[in-house]
Amino acid sequence: MTGNKRGHGAVIGRLLAGAAVAALVLQAGGAMAEERTKIEWWHALGGRLAEIVDKLIVDFNASQDKYELVGINKGNYEETMAAMVAAYRVGQQPTLVQAAERGFLTMLNSGAVVPVPELMEKQGYDIKWDDFVAPVAGFFLVDGKPAAMPFNSSTPIFWYNADHFKAAGFDKPGETWQEIDTQLRAIKEKGVSDCSMVLANDFFWSMLENYAAIQDQPWGTKANGFGGLDTEFIFNQSPMVVGQLERLQSWMNDGVLQLAGQGLAPDQLFTSGQCSTFVASTAAHAGVESTAKFNWSATFLPHEEGVEPKNSTIGGGALWVMKGETDAEYAGAAAFLDFVASPATQAWWSKETGYVPVTMTAYEAIKADGYYDEHPTREIAILQLSRGTPTDNSRGFRFGNHNQSMQLLVKEVQSVWTGEKTAQQALDAAVEQGNQILRQYEKLHAGG
Amino acid sequence: MPAADGSIEIGGGASRRPRTSGGLALGRLFPRASSAGLKTAHFRQPWLAAGLLTPQLLILVFFFFIPSYKALSLAFVQVDPFGGIQIFVGLDNFLALFASADYRDSAVFTLWFSVVQNVLTLGLAGLFAFATDYVIRGRGLYRSIILMPYAIAPVISGVIWAFLFNPAVGPIAEMLQAIGIPWDPNRRPFDAQLLVIIASVWKHVCYDYIFLVAALLAVPASLLEAATLDGAGHIRRFFAISVPLITPTIFFLIVMNFVYGLFETFGVIDAMTRGGPAGATNSLVYKVYQDGFVQLDLGSSAAQSVVLMIVAVVFTVLQFRALERKVNYGV
Repeated sequence: MTGNKRGHGAVIGRLLAGAAVAALVLQAGGAMAEERTKIEWWHALGGRLAEIVDKLIVDFNASQDKYELVGINKGNYEETMAAMVAAYRVGQQPTLVQAAERGFLTMLNSGAVVPVPELMEKQGYDIKWDDFVAPVAGFFLVDGKPAAMPFNSSTPIFWYNADHFKAAGFDKPGETWQEIDTQLRAIKEKGVSDCSMVLANDFFWSMLENYAAIQDQPWGTKANGFGGLDTEFIFNQSPMVVGQLERLQSWMNDGVLQLAGQGLAPDQLFTSGQCSTFVASTAAHAGVESTAKFNWSATFLPHEEGVEPKNSTIGGGALWVMKGETDAEYAGAAAFLDFVASPATQAWWSKETGYVPVTMTAYEAIKADGYYDEHPTREIAILQLSRGTPTDNSRGFRFGNHNQSMQLLVKEVQSVWTGEKTAQQALDAAVEQGNQILRQYEKLHAGG
Repeated sequence: MPAADGSIEIGGGASRRPRTSGGLALGRLFPRASSAGLKTAHFRQPWLAAGLLTPQLLILVFFFFIPSYKALSLAFVQVDPFGGIQIFVGLDNFLALFASADYRDSAVFTLWFSVVQNVLTLGLAGLFAFATDYVIRGRGLYRSIILMPYAIAPVISGVIWAFLFNPAVGPIAEMLQAIGIPWDPNRRPFDAQLLVIIASVWKHVCYDYIFLVAALLAVPASLLEAATLDGAGHIRRFFAISVPLITPTIFFLIVMNFVYGLFETFGVIDAMTRGGPAGATNSLVYKVYQDGFVQLDLGSSAAQSVVLMIVAVVFTVLQFRALERKVNYGV
């Protein structure tokens, strides 16, 4: 869940990435023997992450000679999901698809997927499902097993330009939102930067949903949807969540917080040194490490004064296996999932991208060779994810058609940015419309 | 006035296409005019007629009738996007649509966007076309420059415009801010709407321009010369002689501009504003896409496309009825 992937405007980048993938595919197709079974995988990773995914695919294809995995970037998570659904309706779906945590319940109830444990068992692979790190297991496991293979798991962290903080007279960002407020305003007033913070494209996740989790505020009833389809959104009733949106609004009005807008990825405004901070996925490591030319760092998400912070929630994607494929394709898909789940791939993937390792074995391995001592910002996400005991409000979110309600929330929040609505009015409207979607989903899936 | 025929072909569409120009091998299939009770042109063997019609009919079936049927059948149900579950809900999708403030806002925006876009596009294209005659040196270059935007894909031009006007990094936005305009399409809905209009007009001016230049070329020089001798200036000649003679083209362009504004500005909007901020540039077509393909609410999306189809049909019929009488096809 990085800004990269949600960088709606980065169309050119995506086109170029697509062309690069196509070129790779052509090359691979020319060089490989004909008898390899082709396995199609649609993913949602763009920018630097797409390059790392391509490397993963090349490595998998080189590791065996029976299958050829073809990875295709279908845009961001929502676009990938939409493309997959459209393809599924006409029987043209890929074997594997990457879907975000937001689509978990939708995918689970879709009737269009083959549960991963079932597939792995049938194909004779033995995966230790109890090896997943707690935050991943807590979100993805249904009756002790995941319906999909957790792949790229992340959580938002607080990124900052250490040079800017020093120039404004601060050692590091404060731990509470109140301190952050003072610091961001000081950065602007002292003329250190015109843009104290840039709003990530997935701010609804990093600044609102995760805010609610860390502050232990309910987003919906029934344990944020874990308790049943008759859940309702209630985030508009939390004075803290409303206050958070009001804070963002006042930052925006005072020019402390900026929108990148279409045609520009917020990540670029941070990595170019223009904006001092941004709250985004730990997966931004891939992009920040390769492009930022200043003294950058990251820390835990802030919390409210006087609140004991809870864990943040997991974001990112899992790999789902679609129904309606041939046995040979399923064998290939299982081989790839086994490859992905192996500790070696996990450790490599986590180091390259900044995503958290999803298995304990991989986590211990990375820790054992001192990687986190050298790269302390890499461990923030997993520490923050496993902080304390998860409550019903911090375990995660499991809502039907959550993509839809999220889009409506974003639209309502935009009307706060434009000044048409107050924070309370916007959240009220988002809850009302979101609940209609939940009821519609409940109606459709009441039997299942 | 044979010289004006060129503009009729362009402007009037098929209404005056010569019907008996079969020629060559097909000529023998056309009966003599003496065949009682038959129109001057008909096919004696039905298979040939059917054969000639088939490609067009197939295109209609696959790109119009089947999609329309699908849209109609989806408009009255709620479906799970994967197609597994389907519940008949009657008119619920339509009722929800008309009760929705978002949908009304989208309709209002689409209407004024289409009108403003139409007036600006036609006005600018008219100005450029009028000026073409007075550009003596480098006329080819002048035309090429005006025609160039048409060769650029809408998404690419959208990205370029979005970048130029981006409040954080865009050079044009910087200029606007320097002269005191608080330009910010991310937060000011009107700025976003203006941006979408500018980009759509820029993209479509060349289309209107080609047709207007062609039409103006067909205006008989004798009339213009006569007017000149009577003392009419450039502008008077343009409005009193040229414009009335090219009304069929103008009418055609008005229809095409509306079609463009209603249906083809998708790429531009998608690349520049994604319908935002807060739905300010969410045109009806973009909303169909957003609701159907991003939000996967296929029932509502289908209902919207049915409404849109009806609007388009009614609108076109009304337009033809209203304007046909005032447009002189028989120049």
